[in-house]
Amino acid sequence: MPRLDKPVYRPVKIPRRPLIREKLPDSPKVNGDTLLKINHISVSFDGFYALTNVAVEVKRHVVHFFIGPNGAGKTTLLDIICAKTKPTAGTVTFYPNGRDFIRLTGMEEHAIVREGIGRKFQVPSVFVNLTVLDNMALSLKGHKGIWDSIFHRTAREEYERINTVLQNVGLADRKDIKAGSLAHGEKQWLEIAMQLVQQPELIMLDEPAAGMDKAETEKTGEILKEIKKECTVIVVEHDMEFVKQAADTVTVLHEGRVLMEGNIHDVLADKTVQAVYLGRGGER
Amino acid sequence: MNKFKKHGVNICFSLIVVGLAVMPLLLIGNVVDAPLIIFLGKCMAFSIVAIGLDLIWGHTGILSLGHGLYFALGGYGMAMYLKLQATHGAITEFMHTGGLTELPDVWKPFQSLPLTILLILVVPVLAAYMIGYFIFKNRVKGVYFSIISQALTWAVYSVFIALSPITNGNVGITEISSITGKIRGPTGQNNLIILFYGSLAILALVYALAVFLVKTKFGKLLIAIRDGENRTYFSGYCVSRYKTFVYVLSAAIAGIAGAVFVNFNGSITPSQMTIAGSINMVIWVAIGGRGTILGAVIGALLINLCEYNLSSGGMIEIWQYIVGGIFCITILFFKGGVVGLFTDQIPALMKKAKGGKSDAPIG
Amino acid sequence: MAQFLNTVFNGLSLSSIILLTSLGLAITFGLMRVINMAHGEFVMIGAYMTYLTQRIFMAALPGSLFSMYYFAAIPIAFVVTFLLGSFMEWAVISRLYGREIDSLLATCGISLVLQQAARHIFGAQGVNVTTPKFLSGGITIGGCTFSYNRLFIMLFVALILFAMWFVIYRSNFGKQMRAVMQNRPMAQCMGINSRKADNLTFGIGSGLAGLAGCSVALLGSIDAGVGQNYIVNSFMAVVLGGVGKLLGTVLGSSIIGFSGITAESFTSSSIAKAIVLLIIILFLQKRPQGLFTIRSRSLDE
Repeated sequence: MPRLDKPVYRPVKIPRRPLIREKLPDSPKVNGDTLLKINHISVSFDGFYALTNVAVEVKRHVVHFFIGPNGAGKTTLLDIICAKTKPTAGTVTFYPNGRDFIRLTGMEEHAIVREGIGRKFQVPSVFVNLTVLDNMALSLKGHKGIWDSIFHRTAREEYERINTVLQNVGLADRKDIKAGSLAHGEKQWLEIAMQLVQQPELIMLDEPAAGMDKAETEKTGEILKEIKKECTVIVVEHDMEFVKQAADTVTVLHEGRVLMEGNIHDVLADKTVQAVYLGRGGER
Repeated sequence: MNKFKKHGVNICFSLIVVGLAVMPLLLIGNVVDAPLIIFLGKCMAFSIVAIGLDLIWGHTGILSLGHGLYFALGGYGMAMYLKLQATHGAITEFMHTGGLTELPDVWKPFQSLPLTILLILVVPVLAAYMIGYFIFKNRVKGVYFSIISQALTWAVYSVFIALSPITNGNVGITEISSITGKIRGPTGQNNLIILFYGSLAILALVYALAVFLVKTKFGKLLIAIRDGENRTYFSGYCVSRYKTFVYVLSAAIAGIAGAVFVNFNGSITPSQMTIAGSINMVIWVAIGGRGTILGAVIGALLINLCEYNLSSGGMIEIWQYIVGGIFCITILFFKGGVVGLFTDQIPALMKKAKGGKSDAPIG
Repeated sequence: MAQFLNTVFNGLSLSSIILLTSLGLAITFGLMRVINMAHGEFVMIGAYMTYLTQRIFMAALPGSLFSMYYFAAIPIAFVVTFLLGSFMEWAVISRLYGREIDSLLATCGISLVLQQAARHIFGAQGVNVTTPKFLSGGITIGGCTFSYNRLFIMLFVALILFAMWFVIYRSNFGKQMRAVMQNRPMAQCMGINSRKADNLTFGIGSGLAGLAGCSVALLGSIDAGVGQNYIVNSFMAVVLGGVGKLLGTVLGSSIIGFSGITAESFTSSSIAKAIVLLIIILFLQKRPQGLFTIRSRSLDE
């Protein structure tokens, strides 16, 4: 895959709605270790707090897991980052490499995607009536405007990139069939591939291993390790084996709050975490 | 075979165009009569609006129940020009009756042909842009859009009726000739033929434009929006802008269609912008085959030709039953319409007959 | 004062008529999410049923009983439209659950057929029903007249509303119905026959349209297109009030009714209608959530 060690700076078209950019006093072009800062986010749905004062920092080039029992607010947190849900309080800031940092809160979904944040959803969502290749072509970075979509021809190297990614996820021989006739697992792969081909700096995966068997899960873990060389990965997952295999950092959410954060061994050893989550039988 | 599959749709369309192009020659040879030609002209106008509707509904999945509005806007623009040609720029009789003494300002631009042509495009485009911009920006979609477009059309219709001194209310603008001059009667034959070929050219151009758009990434995006609007947002596309664009485009096409229609029809009434009129257009596209530009053309031609042939006999009474029934059956069982029959159902049947395993359903 | 009373009365009256035609939609659209474009035609059928009942009473029964025809017409209209609706659900709509736009279109086709059928049977000319004796005339208070038939419609709406509230929120069937509408597979697992619940629910929604038709018959002449006059406002009332909420529909209808009457005092009635619709559409732009949002983990419903 391209962009292995040296991230290339590509100009990103600024969306019509002006971005809310906070100016740092010294405005460093090369940001520090942190890629994403979730600043005290709270969300309430009709008075029910799905998230309360959640503050998490996501580092560069790691696989960051969010785990927790059902209703802990994991998916909501992803929704906040990619602007599917608006937070009641708090902000999310993104520190892309070599650029000023961006406040994501208040931006539109497509603008966030264009800044380099991709997301795979819990239920696989691909364009069922388009071929796998078309699905990938639509996900390519850049050229998202109307005129471009009419007059821009997809370049050769872009097709090559698509091929590489498809090979990595094992869909190379299914390029020309409609995405709707893929198996569930294959749709998951396709959706992940669609994120990869966008060359994001941050990729968010909501339960990527759901509905996969053991071998497939393991393969997913291996691929995550591969991906993190180029970008940061946020994963929401239930499968603890998978977490053990792939996680660098783990944040445990419980009832909308951060219960603890650390590496996987600390988290597994923690008494509270065991009490509220791991001890619950089903989700080991 | 494969080649035919690839170009079959365009070959079909070419056949239709050739078939239509022969008609005026038959008129000269006295094989067919002028009313049929005039009627075919109207059918071409309907085909044009059906193409526009297919872009927004068949491809993008936005069902507009208000395309009659844009059709009528274009139609009224043309009719106003033609009426002023007939009165030599003087004010019309119905304005007299309505108590006006001079030409209303909205009529004035229609004294010149270039301005008229411009306005035929610009008025529907502006109206569609205003409606589309707000509605799509606020993520109103699915059936809600349909209901709102229906309500809007109804509202504009009431206003049109209420402004009768300017629009002549229910009666509409009547007694007008065409842009090429008089087309009715023996003296109008040449004018009719010129008009017919002109309209055929417009139909072919609109078809070509639509097919071109659908083939590009833009067309794929429309399907992507239909299948997964949010996924498209999360692929980095500003869906609302795309939706507005295609809505405006289809409105412009509808406006052109309306203008063509008026030339052949010789009058325009507000009934063109009723909900029933708009639903008729949807029926054409549905029966012809949504999601294929050819289907829209076939549907509009087929339904209208059937209606034309049946209306001479006692069948007009039961025509509504037939159309309504076929429409329901199409929706229920043949989602692809006539075109779908040939591209999906019949091949599937043939495969079955051969005993071959059928493909996994594509859904 | 009289002017004010008059406006209030007219507003109430118009609201109640809109509400009457909206209640059925509140069920079929609000609860089941089925856009029944033939709803207006059910109203029309209810009105024609009233007319037919009147004709039968006129022909077969002594004149002294004539006014009673209206009480016979109400159940007849309900039953006929109920059966028709239930048949339509079985034949067409049940095959289209999950395809909202297609069910909208299919009912469009049915609406065309029903209109033509009415024209075929009753002729293109409108027919009138004779207002029952006890509903003709009115009372005059403070210089303005309240006609009995409009008062009756308000009462009628109130009764239907109460009955609906009882059925939906207090009865066992209502519980099942709401369960099915909220989560079909789950309700099936709980042993509810969801096919039957769907069918009955749609039937009731259609039956309510028939009841509305009974009142519409009192207001003017009946023709094949009579339902179309009400349908746009009714849809807007349901959408405005927030889909799936009975109280919302009541509010939506009142807003449309009162603003319509108020606008009418400034301009002509057709412009007033247009203005009201435009305002509603603008309002819906501001609050599209009025059009309910479902939270789901799936991206595109």
